[in-house]
Amino acid sequence: MAQPAATTTTSANASETPIVSLAHVTLAYGDLRALDNVSLDVRQGERLCVLGANGSGKSTLASVICGLLAPDAGEVTLVGEKVFEAGSADFDAYRRARRKLGLVFQNPEDQIVTSVVEEDVAFGPENLGLPPERIEHLVRRELHRVAMERYAKADPARLSGGQRQRVTIAGALAMEPRVLVLDEPSSSLDVRGRRSVMKVVEKLRGVGCTVVHVTHFMDEALGADRVVVLDHGHVALAGTPQEVFSHVEEVRGLGLEEPFAGQLSSQLRERGLDVSWTCDEGALLADLARRTSGHRAGRVAAAPGDAPHGGGAPVVRAEDVRFSYEQSRRRRRADAAPAALDGVTIDVPHGAHVALVGQTGSGKSTLLRLIAALEVPDQGRIEVDGIPTADRRDRRRLHGRVGYVMQRPERQLFAETVAQDVAYGPSNLGLSPSEVDQRVRRALDLVGLVGKDDASPFQLSGGQQRLCALAGILAMEPNLLVLDEPTAGLDPRGRRKLRRILDGLNADGTTLVEVTHAMEDAARADLVAVLDGGRVVLTDTPAQVFSTDNAEKLHDMGLGIPHPLAFARVLEDAGYPPLGDPLTNETLADAIVRAAGAADRPSAPSAAGTSATADGRDE
Amino acid sequence: MALRISVGQYYAADSTIHRLDPRTKTACALALMIATFFVHSPLGLAALAASVLALLLAARVPAGEVLSSVRGVLWVLLILAVFNLLLIRDGSVLLAAGPITITMGGTWSAVLYPVRVFAAIVVGALLLLTTTPTELGDAFDAACSPLTRLGLPGHELAMVFSLMLRFIPTLANDASAIMNAQVARGGEVARGSLGRRLRAVGSVLVALMASSMNHADDLARALDARCYESGGTRSHWHPLHFGARDAVAFAATAALVALLVTLG
Repeated sequence: MAQPAATTTTSANASETPIVSLAHVTLAYGDLRALDNVSLDVRQGERLCVLGANGSGKSTLASVICGLLAPDAGEVTLVGEKVFEAGSADFDAYRRARRKLGLVFQNPEDQIVTSVVEEDVAFGPENLGLPPERIEHLVRRELHRVAMERYAKADPARLSGGQRQRVTIAGALAMEPRVLVLDEPSSSLDVRGRRSVMKVVEKLRGVGCTVVHVTHFMDEALGADRVVVLDHGHVALAGTPQEVFSHVEEVRGLGLEEPFAGQLSSQLRERGLDVSWTCDEGALLADLARRTSGHRAGRVAAAPGDAPHGGGAPVVRAEDVRFSYEQSRRRRRADAAPAALDGVTIDVPHGAHVALVGQTGSGKSTLLRLIAALEVPDQGRIEVDGIPTADRRDRRRLHGRVGYVMQRPERQLFAETVAQDVAYGPSNLGLSPSEVDQRVRRALDLVGLVGKDDASPFQLSGGQQRLCALAGILAMEPNLLVLDEPTAGLDPRGRRKLRRILDGLNADGTTLVEVTHAMEDAARADLVAVLDGGRVVLTDTPAQVFSTDNAEKLHDMGLGIPHPLAFARVLEDAGYPPLGDPLTNETLADAIVRAAGAADRPSAPSAAGTSATADGRDE
Repeated sequence: MALRISVGQYYAADSTIHRLDPRTKTACALALMIATFFVHSPLGLAALAASVLALLLAARVPAGEVLSSVRGVLWVLLILAVFNLLLIRDGSVLLAAGPITITMGGTWSAVLYPVRVFAAIVVGALLLLTTTPTELGDAFDAACSPLTRLGLPGHELAMVFSLMLRFIPTLANDASAIMNAQVARGGEVARGSLGRRLRAVGSVLVALMASSMNHADDLARALDARCYESGGTRSHWHPLHFGARDAVAFAATAALVALLVTLG
């Protein structure tokens, strides 16, 4: 880094007094103990990762650490200020401490206070009362650090989520905090945005800024010096990432999951391969590379995937669809890329699970809205269940048959009780009260919210709200479900649960069309449609879409390939025999075991020590 | 997003108007908007139209951008024009067919009133397009400074005002997404019995309210984290100061207002 450090911490004083110290901290919201006797020290210059399921107290901990929330009991020392002691808060100390603590959290949109990027970055320094020349210097420096200097004059509303979040990070860093608290900074972002935010976090290590990072993504925790896992308000596990994740069963029990390499090494061990468990991808790679004879063979061609569901007429048939928002016709500004579709033709077979992938702005969400008959194509036609969406009356008929799950569908909740909210759709269909009641019961049963009927939807946890909203759509008993990033923002347990529900529906014959950013999810679909610039550029089975032939194409569109596949490619580059195109951890583990079995005799470590990781592949 | 409201959307450009002190800009815009009500003659109207056009050019904001931000009121103005045309019966009759009588006076009113209002709105839109919410907040803050001196929350009012402008598009997007979701659940506002429609409106409003509360909670957290304190001593990256440019702007506005009032 060419710029001066954000803090002047050096590694020499890392062993000195902790920069943040919590002792026996307890904090309750009403009856709920969000933090229960938590003791935690954050050392200067370290990167501490906080993991935990939804509702485990992570965000509360983040707020306490950045001085926005005083506990009920315990002792808190922040950047040398004793802010809470013997049951009372020292508000002056809090005010002083807060000036040295920065916070960035989940929704960048809500943290940006003005409509010019550079002015937003200047907001914090202005509040600190810094002189104009100093503000100028800080704004320029931080915009450069987060690689947003080209957008200094841009309107944040026109930036992507990842870019916006980088602006908020620049805004926090411009206040030169000694500690930067990141509270799930990437959970509302797509893969690319997440990666760009993590790049900035990595850079901060280089300048010795202390970072406390709360996240739902296990792989983000791997770069941390220390990991703390919270469960119901207390520290359940703590240690280096390797130490924490090695408690495989406990980690799962806490609603989390192992990082990719941990999962894979567990699966390999289950299959009898004698690798040592690790959550470090590089280490696993080196370990595996040592076991191969090193004979290199050409890659096998992509296995012909299962033929796409061909049973009967397609549920959705889109023909040469063109759509543009009225707005996009009027706006001729270069930075306002029109979110439109052009020449889109796609058939969704009955009972299939189709994944729509593509970058932000590629038209995925628009296509979903068109299929849900919420918008009408400007040209071409869309038929759902044989009903064209062009006519208003027909669209109304479709609103019962197509279930539309928008992004963060919990935003649609409005009724006083869960049951009433779920009943909204079916009662709009004009069903009898007893039928509505039955459907509500069935839907709540499907999503596992039985017994919550009379609770207020607003008092449910985040994950439960999502399920409640889903139940509200399932109660209409649609035979086609279109979903816009259904698992975004959920913790691993929530993601697993939602996946199970969707798989169950699909197995029972419901057609799924899902927009997703996770290539691992797309790999589990029957068909993957790749959108780019408003066009469908590829529609095929996951095996075909992610085959070697398409790797470059996907890369050019800013898309990655599923993690297992990327790992297989790296292994092959490290001298492994062809592993095929494994799209899931299971098939990858099988392929590795097979390859290792073929080369059973241990041989010279020909390509060991290669440091490439699968991650580098889909940059 | 299907619905984009561009009220209060800043348009970044480098123009004389952009560079004016926001206090100057706000004061001049207000004076000009009030002056439009004094216009009654064709000559006055022509002068008004010409000066608004000149402003538009000086601000270097594309006409399409201005039009898109005032599009909502065009319908209202059109209706205003039609009403004036049909209901005002002054002066000589130009056309009489059955119940419809169109007079000279009516035609003039149908031109005068909508154009006047339109000019005022364009001036307002230009102010918003060339001034960032922060700057507007600062101007508002200056306007509120007598309140602050009296111990009333002038600064806070200004901040609220500026954040309101910033969050209009956000809430509009939310409203559009929620409306879509409820329509897909069969809750259409524009259809069905009154009870059903009310329920549909309620389902959107309550959900929107809940989502606004979430934004508000987040925003409060962000403002705290960034050390925004009421009554705090903020500094300014670009401190406001009146320059020669502002003096010229004041003089030009005064002359223009005088002209419009004299022409009548």
